[in-house]
Amino acid sequence: MASLAARNGGSQRDQRPLKKRLADASAPYLYSAPALILIVTVMLVPLVLGISYAFRDIQLLKPFSGGFIGLDHFRTLSQDQNFYRALRNTLWWTGWSVLLQFVFGLILALLLDKPFFGRAIVQALVFLPWAVPSFLAGLNWAWLFNPVVGPLPHWLFALGIMSEPNNILSDPQLAMWGPIIANVWWGIPFFAITLLAALQAIPRDLYEAASIDGAGPVKRFLSITLPFLAPTIAITVLLRTVWISNFADLIIVMTNGGPADRTQIVASYIFTQAFKRLDFGYASAIALVLLALLIIYSMLIVVLRQWLLSKD
Amino acid sequence: MASIDISNIRKSYGIHPVLHGIDLEIRDGEFVVLVGPSGCGKSTLLRMIAGLEAVTDGEIRIAGKRVNDLAPKDRDIAMVFQSYALYPHMSVAKNMSYSLRLRKMAKEKIASVVAGAATKLGLEPLMERRPKALSGGQRQRVAMGRAIVREPKAFLFDEPLSNLDARLREQMRAEIKKLHKDLGATSIYVTHDQIEAMTLADRIVAMHGGIIQQVGSPLDLYDNPANLFVAGFIGSPGMNFFEGRYIKLNGKSVFAPTGGVELLLEAPANLEEGSRATLGIRPEHVVLGADGPEAQMAAIDLVEPTGFGIILHLTLGPVSLKAFTLDRRFLNATGEIAVRLPGSHLHFFDESGRKV
Repeated sequence: MASLAARNGGSQRDQRPLKKRLADASAPYLYSAPALILIVTVMLVPLVLGISYAFRDIQLLKPFSGGFIGLDHFRTLSQDQNFYRALRNTLWWTGWSVLLQFVFGLILALLLDKPFFGRAIVQALVFLPWAVPSFLAGLNWAWLFNPVVGPLPHWLFALGIMSEPNNILSDPQLAMWGPIIANVWWGIPFFAITLLAALQAIPRDLYEAASIDGAGPVKRFLSITLPFLAPTIAITVLLRTVWISNFADLIIVMTNGGPADRTQIVASYIFTQAFKRLDFGYASAIALVLLALLIIYSMLIVVLRQWLLSKD
Repeated sequence: MASIDISNIRKSYGIHPVLHGIDLEIRDGEFVVLVGPSGCGKSTLLRMIAGLEAVTDGEIRIAGKRVNDLAPKDRDIAMVFQSYALYPHMSVAKNMSYSLRLRKMAKEKIASVVAGAATKLGLEPLMERRPKALSGGQRQRVAMGRAIVREPKAFLFDEPLSNLDARLREQMRAEIKKLHKDLGATSIYVTHDQIEAMTLADRIVAMHGGIIQQVGSPLDLYDNPANLFVAGFIGSPGMNFFEGRYIKLNGKSVFAPTGGVELLLEAPANLEEGSRATLGIRPEHVVLGADGPEAQMAAIDLVEPTGFGIILHLTLGPVSLKAFTLDRRFLNATGEIAVRLPGSHLHFFDESGRKV
């Protein structure tokens, strides 16, 4: 731009309109350039690079790898039983985590919506888990489940739920519930905060009008609270589903995918492939499949929401 | 349809009392307007009748039945809210039929009742719309439709017109009045707008500070205000007040405004000689351009034409005075003007503010 101006400035006077035209035409691009450059370098370049890895043989332990291998990774992946198990585990992990977080978050939001003595303090306390780093939360819960240092197995044993005070994280049948419980504890505040905000936006006189119209508490919940919360519920469930299915921190910290891969989800499987086996190409291929699945899921939710909105 | 009896109702929020013993009997089919400034407790009283606020003390009876501990839905009343409180995710038809559907009324019956109400309110072309696609006046109508389909014992209105513009308010006011004439239902209407109160009410209940100040027909309150509050609240522009002393001079009754010119009275007032009192006169009763011995000269401060008439802001001695006239001659009046306060239109209030 500066050099252009200098060159044009040196020539005849009647060239000024052209210079101005150029400046005018380029102004929008120049204004948006900083943001665009930032987005391209920070988001698009790594994304394209990552996607390209999925079609190349990149293994850190093999110095001469890096060649283009087409769809080989995806062929391997389609035969990979560990991947299918991780996919099933992901469904289990995500489904239960989101469902329990949502149910408890909604109950909590409904309780916090009613005024009571000390509500402000309780609200602050309820939102505390969200502020705990997930890594710390994972460690904490791993210790709680550990019969040597934690009380939980002994309590469960005393209540007769467990036959002996074992660590559920080492029980292949139960191990997944460890990270799920930790995740529910950690994620409830998200639902509680967003649903509480939505609840408080509902005009109070609607409830009064409904109670005069003859609606009991259950009817009022169904015909006022739920319709008002529906858009928020759709968006938060969508967001949480995507986050949780990508969220391997707790699993890595608590079980590291074990025992016998029983808690391996796709996200932790990617982590294992990339940073334990150092096979970046294969890890990228799995990540690409996960990305595709999540995009399909998101589209389904969005379409469902549109359909629900247009239905009535 | 039913009568509503309110006896010695009290309401406190914590230690803070809001209503101090309200007694009111509302006859079957009567249109009663609760009027008063913000915070006088009129809305609280209405909400207590509706069952939205708990009764601290006293008794509310609807059709002879004590309802203190009944839930709102069991009181068989309908309420129209200031915000309309329409269910935003339901169509107009669904909004109006909600209460009937909750009562499990037969579908055909619901359809005919709702259609009848829609015709009455001119809502037929809007039945499938959502509230957000309606104008303020239409929403107001739907809120009323929702109330009338119920055929309740009583209608409660909580400032239903205050969110509408002036023109629409006038129109809806007339519609409410017509509707009441058609249905003949007992209605309690809360407003802070004294014009609404005057035009709609069979009886007005003027409230202030959690106490009923006066109950009576609109003209009763206008012509014979029971106390200073009612006198000042009802009427626009408001009544003029002069503080002073009631005395006798040479055997004649005289009102001596503080620092003002003494006023010779035609008839003695029911006041003790020498007692402090307040004299009131409505602006439309002040005679302008008067002559004779009782005329006094007042300075003209301001002339406000309202189109219909003219409001003159005057200063009579040390006190300011408003006069209202239909005579356009005074539009360009300046300087001083002779005024007279005719005895037949004077109101006297004793030291405690009660009318004498």
